[in-house]
Amino acid sequence: MIFLSLRHLLSRKMQSILILVGIIIGTAAYVAISGMMLGFQVKLLDQLVNNDANIRISAREDVLTPQKMDSFNTAEHVFWKIPPSGRKDSAKIEYPVAWFDKLNLDPDVVAYSPQVNMNVIFSRNKISYAGRMVGSEASKQIKVTNIDQYMIDGKFKDIANSGNSVIFGKGLLENLGARVFETIKISSGTLQPHSFKIVGSFSTGIKSVDDTTAFASLSDVQKIREAGSTITDIAVKIADPYMSQTIAERWRFTSLDKVISWEESSSGMLSVFKTQDIVRNSMTIAIIVVAAFGIYNILSILVNQKKRDIAILRSMGYEPKDIVWIFLNQGLILGIMGGILGLLVGFIMCKIMGSIEVDSNRMTGSNDGKMIISYDLIIYLKAISIALVSSLLSSILPARFAGKMEPMDIIRSGGQ
Amino acid sequence: MITVKNLSKSFDNGKNLILKNISLQIDDGEFISLTGRSGSGKSTLLYLISTLDRNFEGEILINNKNIKLIQENEIHSLRNLNIGFVFQFHYLLSELTALENVLLPARKANQLIEKEPLAIQLLNEVGLSGKEHKLPHNLSGGEQQRVAIARSLIMRPKYIFADEPTGNLDTINGEIVINLFQKFNREFGTTIIYVTHDKEFANKAKRKIQLVDGEILLF
Repeated sequence: MIFLSLRHLLSRKMQSILILVGIIIGTAAYVAISGMMLGFQVKLLDQLVNNDANIRISAREDVLTPQKMDSFNTAEHVFWKIPPSGRKDSAKIEYPVAWFDKLNLDPDVVAYSPQVNMNVIFSRNKISYAGRMVGSEASKQIKVTNIDQYMIDGKFKDIANSGNSVIFGKGLLENLGARVFETIKISSGTLQPHSFKIVGSFSTGIKSVDDTTAFASLSDVQKIREAGSTITDIAVKIADPYMSQTIAERWRFTSLDKVISWEESSSGMLSVFKTQDIVRNSMTIAIIVVAAFGIYNILSILVNQKKRDIAILRSMGYEPKDIVWIFLNQGLILGIMGGILGLLVGFIMCKIMGSIEVDSNRMTGSNDGKMIISYDLIIYLKAISIALVSSLLSSILPARFAGKMEPMDIIRSGGQ
Repeated sequence: MITVKNLSKSFDNGKNLILKNISLQIDDGEFISLTGRSGSGKSTLLYLISTLDRNFEGEILINNKNIKLIQENEIHSLRNLNIGFVFQFHYLLSELTALENVLLPARKANQLIEKEPLAIQLLNEVGLSGKEHKLPHNLSGGEQQRVAIARSLIMRPKYIFADEPTGNLDTINGEIVINLFQKFNREFGTTIIYVTHDKEFANKAKRKIQLVDGEILLF
């Protein structure tokens, strides 16, 4: 029946081409938009998963209440003139060794890095800038995050080589007007400033990190903090990052410390991804629905125009299912051709978009400064499936209608 | 052989009785004209005995098979291999060439390649040599009807049913069509039953059946 279907399509070239263009646009739009958005999402997800800990264990925070301050002899009644209030900020993890033992034994844990995180003031001559200092053991930190890959100058391990070495974010370096190998002052605000030598710089592409953060060795930051060998955080890398939330919930049962997975700390960004997916799918479905209605309308008109043909074919022994296939094939041919051409056009659009230069510091940019595009096979399979299914569904009703036509009814009505 | 026993056909839930208790027998190789006034039931009878309409009272047997009782797929096969139709308005598929139209029944029977030489020969016999690849809109009404006749003969059917095949043609082309029917009846032994209003064309049949108000008046 393909022969007759093709002849029908070719006899209405303009209509067929218009429908084909509709399917091509729908399919190509899905491929191009998905490629762009998923490329962006993959890059961002990679940053969310690998730029920081999959799970961060940090010192607990507690709200003060009169009951929590009740450490007096139980026989005495204590009345507060002014009840205690505020936050009991335990700025250290109370039992880090217990955590280390637990993490060493947990098969889900790939690596962990004890850290001291603190807010500091960076000073160079008369310029001061508030930021965040992360103290860690370099050899452990590079196993937990990708920071080593984002180094512009020097190596991350340089912070462990000599005392008071620091690595600055690219933006922070620019804000201070400092250069690598310069010495700057770092203080916690209330305590004596310490001199640090900048031994390297990094750029993660995340402005909020690059403009504020500096890394130094754990012991050096502990010295600034003047709080002995305490630690404030443990950054943990998990074998399957997408299990982080489940594992974090499990750990929360057995500890009073804060245990936060990357999914929880990035929940805002993840919900943006979901919204993007909804917008992407809705837009594409709208385009495909328009094309599908086009197929439906044209086939419905065609079936009515071809009543006489249906009657003569049935009188020649063509079965109802043959008639159904003649019209169904037309929808499928348009769907297959439109789908394949749409994939091709979408792929070319992706290639063009992928060659567009963007600022490498922006989140959409790849390391070579080009826009990141996803060429995931799933996008292409989904796109062709949408084209085929919509074409098939829009052809079924007119085709079934044609198949149900009886030759005598058509002949009696004069083929009208 | 076609046998019709006590055939009645009505429309509008029995209110409009078109054929009244008709019985007749058509032997193989006959050349029959069906005549009668408009509304006499001649076309209705043609479509009933040709299996296109299977909603009736009574019995119709084709090759001793009751057409009401045989399976749907057998009916399709019967129409494809044993029956040829010619309609008043030619009913050619406008997208197909004359040759492709002639080969339509062969396409259904998967005999496209085998039947192509015969299709060319038939087009030659109906006087359309050299017009095999013309589309219907490039042919005259008479030529289109001759293509339809060639199409009805492509499977070498036992029966040809024609509903007013000359009704839309001028006298010369009408004459050509009837002469072709006579020729194929004579040469191939094809049973031909045709409906016509034209007395002159009706008289060319070996046997005339006249219908008056749903009944056979004359054998």
